[in-house]
Amino acid sequence: MTVLEVKNLKKVYTTRFGGNHVQALTNVSFTVEQGEYVAIMGESGSGKTTLLNILAALDKPTSGEVKLGGRDLSRLSEKEISSFRRQNLGFVFQDFNLLDTFSLRDNIYLPLVLSGKPVQEMEKRIAPIAQQLGITDILGKYPYEVSGGQKQRAAVARALITRPQIVLADEPTGALDSRAAESLLTLFGEINRAGQTILMVTHSVKAASHAGRVLFIKDGEVFHQLYRAGLRSEEMYQKISDTLTMIATGGARHE
Amino acid sequence: MNKFFFARLAATNLRKNGKVYFPYILTGIGSVMAFYILGALTFNSGMQDLRGGAAVQSMMQFGLVVVGLFSVVFLFYTNSFLVRRRKREFGLFNILGMEKRHIFRVVFMETVYTALISIVAGLLLGILLYKLAFLALLQLLRFDVQLGFELAPRAIVITVVLFGAIYLLTMLSNIRQIHTANPIALLNSDKAGEKEPKTKWPLAILGAVSLGAGYYLAVTTKDPITAMGMFFLAVLLVILGTYCLFTAGSIALLKALRRRKKFYYQPNHFITVSGMLYRMKRNAVGLANICILSTMVLVTLSTTVSLYIGTEDMILARYPRQIGLIMPELDPEQAAAQDAVAQSVLQEHGLTMQNEVDYRYSELTLYRQADGTFSAEETGTMDIVTVAAVPLEDFPGAPVDSLAEGEALLYVLSGEYEADTMTVLGQTFHIRDRLTQFPGEYFSGEPITDVYYLVVPDLAALETLNAAAQTVDITASLQRYHGFDLDAGDDVCLTVYEEIRAALREQEISGGVSCRADGKEDFYALHGGFFFLGIVLGLLFLMATVLIIYYKQISEGYEDKSRYEIMQKVGMSHAEVRRSIRSQVLTVFFLPLVVAGVHIAFAFGIIVKLLQLFSLSNVTLFACCTAGTILVFAALYAVVYALTARTYYKIVR
Repeated sequence: MTVLEVKNLKKVYTTRFGGNHVQALTNVSFTVEQGEYVAIMGESGSGKTTLLNILAALDKPTSGEVKLGGRDLSRLSEKEISSFRRQNLGFVFQDFNLLDTFSLRDNIYLPLVLSGKPVQEMEKRIAPIAQQLGITDILGKYPYEVSGGQKQRAAVARALITRPQIVLADEPTGALDSRAAESLLTLFGEINRAGQTILMVTHSVKAASHAGRVLFIKDGEVFHQLYRAGLRSEEMYQKISDTLTMIATGGARHE
Repeated sequence: MNKFFFARLAATNLRKNGKVYFPYILTGIGSVMAFYILGALTFNSGMQDLRGGAAVQSMMQFGLVVVGLFSVVFLFYTNSFLVRRRKREFGLFNILGMEKRHIFRVVFMETVYTALISIVAGLLLGILLYKLAFLALLQLLRFDVQLGFELAPRAIVITVVLFGAIYLLTMLSNIRQIHTANPIALLNSDKAGEKEPKTKWPLAILGAVSLGAGYYLAVTTKDPITAMGMFFLAVLLVILGTYCLFTAGSIALLKALRRRKKFYYQPNHFITVSGMLYRMKRNAVGLANICILSTMVLVTLSTTVSLYIGTEDMILARYPRQIGLIMPELDPEQAAAQDAVAQSVLQEHGLTMQNEVDYRYSELTLYRQADGTFSAEETGTMDIVTVAAVPLEDFPGAPVDSLAEGEALLYVLSGEYEADTMTVLGQTFHIRDRLTQFPGEYFSGEPITDVYYLVVPDLAALETLNAAAQTVDITASLQRYHGFDLDAGDDVCLTVYEEIRAALREQEISGGVSCRADGKEDFYALHGGFFFLGIVLGLLFLMATVLIIYYKQISEGYEDKSRYEIMQKVGMSHAEVRRSIRSQVLTVFFLPLVVAGVHIAFAFGIIVKLLQLFSLSNVTLFACCTAGTILVFAALYAVVYALTARTYYKIVR
């Protein structure tokens, strides 16, 4: 089953008086199937973040369409978007985006509270997730009291607690040290094996090497894609590195 | 480096930070102006020669001290806000290669600019407005004097010295703060993770207790003389209570709310409660400041306005006739002589007595006992009453022809009396009727006690009372009041009054004479002075309130911006964000005003008692003035809110 369908996506940024046009996305099309773990790679300025913002309905495309679970995002009204985002999407950000004024538990509850879920329901949901992520003991602490890795786990828990159709991760290991990054990536693998669809944007080869499929974006287009197809992470790492080298040196295009 | 570099950099900095510096400089100008004007009035040589001028000047001197203290506290407060906002900038300078001593030079130049602009502009405006203020004051005082344009060098000197010192001190404190911090700390100072506020139960309880005690004192104080002492105690308790409750009480309350899961985990409450928790931690002191300042503005303005408006009434109550002849111990011969003197003076001016009242009375100062009777035994409280008894035969225009023995008519000049009988020194009078007016001149000065006029059946009843008084060693004597109006203006009245007074002294007649026009000057000198001071202080406090609110909104806007961005990413809609911001901001904004209103409500009783000391017994007038002041203030407050809320939304969006 297709969870996410992106077709001919184009995004042009225009300065206020229409003077300058910057083409962030030229023509992007891809699909993500249920239970897939997809990484999107590209250098700074390749349009990764723009793509993610459009997928998250935080930004609107100039043309093209994004279908999530069969619904066209551009057809959603301003009012529907927030609750749609809350119910169908989970976010993990590079800089965690936890609120300092909430304990980790309350940060994780935030999307549920906004949806108006009862307390018992929230408590029932958080227990297994916290268990899996190993943050049960620190739920009562505040973001400034825990390490970066723990913060990111809490952010993952927040993304998972709404049981979203897809988790969007924007450079999730960017602010973590190598050990915390490694353990987070292992965790992503486990979550994915449990059936969660994940779409991750990154420029870390290490992070991408854990994914089942890697899309490469260059100059606003999907340039190339790699399937894991049973490779070990180390082999995948090598393949991704090679591809990146090739892209950087301007090699021929092949699908 | 170019030697003008720092000067130019400092100027650019001020311009770039205009959003926060403009109001700061404005406050400086306002404070300097107010200080100079009050100083110039204090040292005005012409004032001393005016009647009541010395009293007014000492009032202005008091105002000068208040404004001086206020300026010190307030400029420091706003400065600390500015420095907190700018630490990041200084950190950046530091990292970009400026040494600390270079930064100090920039800070020094900035201070010099702010100080120069504030002091020079403040003084210029002060000198310009001084004339206006002086004329306004004279108008309020009903003084009819024209004085030329005048500079007050002494006032200029002390203004420059005081404000120069304040700015110097703020600069030293800024330099000290920058000196002790390292560049990275400066750079990240506005991002430091904030600890969750702790519940300080002892402080919260102390606050509740002291606020309760303050309110209790204010509500239970029954008489004006005790009120005087109690008022300051009550004010101190309430101020302490306000600070404690805003800082500790609010956090205790919010945490208690947070523990109630059913309540807390609802979309509206979730964000508001946790947001407020941090907001209160940071802003509690500021809010308590606003609350107390607002209360001060309201109390100062409502009392001084009602005193001023009530002056005519007070004068009429105090001097029922334009001229009054008074004799503390009635001697028929002397009284006749007194009348003769008055008549002859009037004849010279071709005037006749009109609206005459001529009665004998006796004045007793007694204690109100626990059972409501009046007698000479001290009760340990200061609940003192004055009963003035007048025989019916002397009383003009009485609504009854005769009173049976033990009956009386009652007129309440100040205070309240509800019962149907009044027991004075063991004699009980049944109150047959109550009078709505009484041409009684209050002889002993201001009625600081409750004053009751009792019309008794005849002179015999009055003498019985006096005899009863003598047995318990209370001085009581038969007195006389002979009042009349003249068909003439205040000037003529004053001349007549002076002439009668001179003649009485010359002929060594024991009685005295009083004049409404003469009393008026004293009243207006006092109340006009209060009113003027009330307006100056009220405006200054108002300016402070507005400024604190403005800074609060701006600083919170910057802090809230990132939080709301996150919430939107997690799935909060734009409308929800707006709603949540509005409810928090409204709470923070109007909480101090509401609490100030509650303070005023509790203080109302005791202030009414205090106003009695100034012979204002018109409670309705004071109630109207208070309500009016609160309405005007609330309206101004709402305008400031609307303006600053716009700035806030602009920042957050």
